[in-house]
Amino acid sequence: MKALVAIVKREFFSYFVSPLAYVVLTAFLLINGYVFYLIVLALNVPETPKTSFMSLFFTSIFYWIFMMLVSSIVSMRLLSEERKSGSIESLLTAPVSEATVVTGKFVGGWCFFLFLWLPTVLYPVLLARHGSLDWGPVAGGYLGIALVGALFISVGTFASALTKNQIVAAIVGFVLILAIFLVGLFRDFVNDPKLRETLAYLNLIEHMEDFARGIVDTRRLVYVASTVVFFLFLSTRTLELNKGK
Amino acid sequence: MLEVQSLSKSFYGTPAVDDVSFRVEDGEILGFLGPNGAGKTTTMRMITGFLPPTAGQVTLGGIDLLARPLEAKRHLGYLPETLALYPEMRVREYVAYRAELCGVPSKEAKARVDEALAKCFVTDVASKPIGNLSKGYRQRVGLAGALVHRPRVLVLDEPTVGLDPRQIVKVRELIRDLKKDHTILLSTHILPEVELVCDRILIIDKGKIVAQGTPETLRQEMSQHPGLAVVLKGEISEADVALRQIPGVTHAARIGAAGETRVLLESTQGADLREAVFREVVTRGWTLLELTPRQASLEDVFVRLVAREDVPAEADAETVARERAVTQEVPKFTEGAQ
Repeated sequence: MKALVAIVKREFFSYFVSPLAYVVLTAFLLINGYVFYLIVLALNVPETPKTSFMSLFFTSIFYWIFMMLVSSIVSMRLLSEERKSGSIESLLTAPVSEATVVTGKFVGGWCFFLFLWLPTVLYPVLLARHGSLDWGPVAGGYLGIALVGALFISVGTFASALTKNQIVAAIVGFVLILAIFLVGLFRDFVNDPKLRETLAYLNLIEHMEDFARGIVDTRRLVYVASTVVFFLFLSTRTLELNKGK
Repeated sequence: MLEVQSLSKSFYGTPAVDDVSFRVEDGEILGFLGPNGAGKTTTMRMITGFLPPTAGQVTLGGIDLLARPLEAKRHLGYLPETLALYPEMRVREYVAYRAELCGVPSKEAKARVDEALAKCFVTDVASKPIGNLSKGYRQRVGLAGALVHRPRVLVLDEPTVGLDPRQIVKVRELIRDLKKDHTILLSTHILPEVELVCDRILIIDKGKIVAQGTPETLRQEMSQHPGLAVVLKGEISEADVALRQIPGVTHAARIGAAGETRVLLESTQGADLREAVFREVVTRGWTLLELTPRQASLEDVFVRLVAREDVPAEADAETVARERAVTQEVPKFTEGAQ
């Protein structure tokens, strides 16, 4: 447990010494600021429903593109960097298991991902000061961000375990994340009711829309948690198999 | 205490390490010696749990590494050959991170980190980023990170490679000093280093142990064939043939170069050839420039053991002699020889 905390801390703080963190953070705030600007514009139109408008922030196309890009970039270095430099040898010969290393790195990356979202909390606070705001959907939205983020980062961690090259890890991660995102959209192309139901279960857009309405469905939680565990397991196995190479 | 039992590793069916067994007692430094590619790093990686062995057993401080890896690794400090540290971290940060990773209790952590930094003489750079340090400092920071949790066994893979001579001396002193508290396995291909630092030597070649013992015993084993180097003026092609006639000479090899003739003689044990050689040279009217008894050095032991299979039994005497001469004239396998 102590070792896990050590790895999470190191992973989280190491983002801040690379220019990558600041580039991502800046781009992130620019685009989210623009989305917020659009929301405020829309709110100026008299007949828009005022209370739940913030949900647009969590469901727009900007949100998804950014989620997928940012998660694959944040997670690309997690394991590949250490494998490339060779510092993985020191790390794995310390009294820690591969599972701890993978979990620690995943949590570290995830914490940084959540940190990126932190400044955006200012937006609902601003809205609440100038009008009424239903905090339920906002909290749900942020929960959704945390969950979908965990899912994407775990996929990215796996991609990062596959290769020593960070760029390759980012691309593979992005493609995998995109596939996971798209698979739910195929619901509209199939007729078989069972398959339709399954694909609906995997449909992340629907997940996010629920969260942004303030609905927390345990099925969504189970889906995310099981997928995260699955990808962390795959990463651990990959790391074990690639040890010493 | 470190014990290795019939450790083997094959890569795609090709054995890299073949049935290696040895034991390092507490407070002992074992030098692990071998030419490049002999299987040193592979063995060390198996001992440290980084590479799963094909067969065999490793016991660290009495705990089976393969059965209980996490417990066993608590007793291990490892300095890998390609030492990669996190360049963005500061020295103290890194050592503290290693302490936390290796389960040093938080209360003791600060004192332990200070102790490790002081032990490895890196206290003066404690607040510098590792990326800004010279290689010698980085090596010592790596060492500090490896021993911050006071492991019983230290495994050091070529700790002095790439250091300048002054740093090499410092690191060697440090290693000798660490002997008090740790069992040390040190791999190297620098021979003088072994003689200076190690209590016992293990020579490995092509994945197999070819010799082991203290530096003295190994040298004694080899000096069963005492030698003599004779240098004559001028290039005398029949010198080796002539000197081979002397009773007691078992082997003679000649190299001629730059107006000199060098003959290397080997004799049976106990025979003192010096007088006979002198008389022979005088009788033939040659000029004797040098007459040096050759004490078997560790280089001889090493070259003999490791090169044995490369040199056919009835090899061209000149080739053998040239090889010997090379080892004589370059008495140190320094970094340049890599």
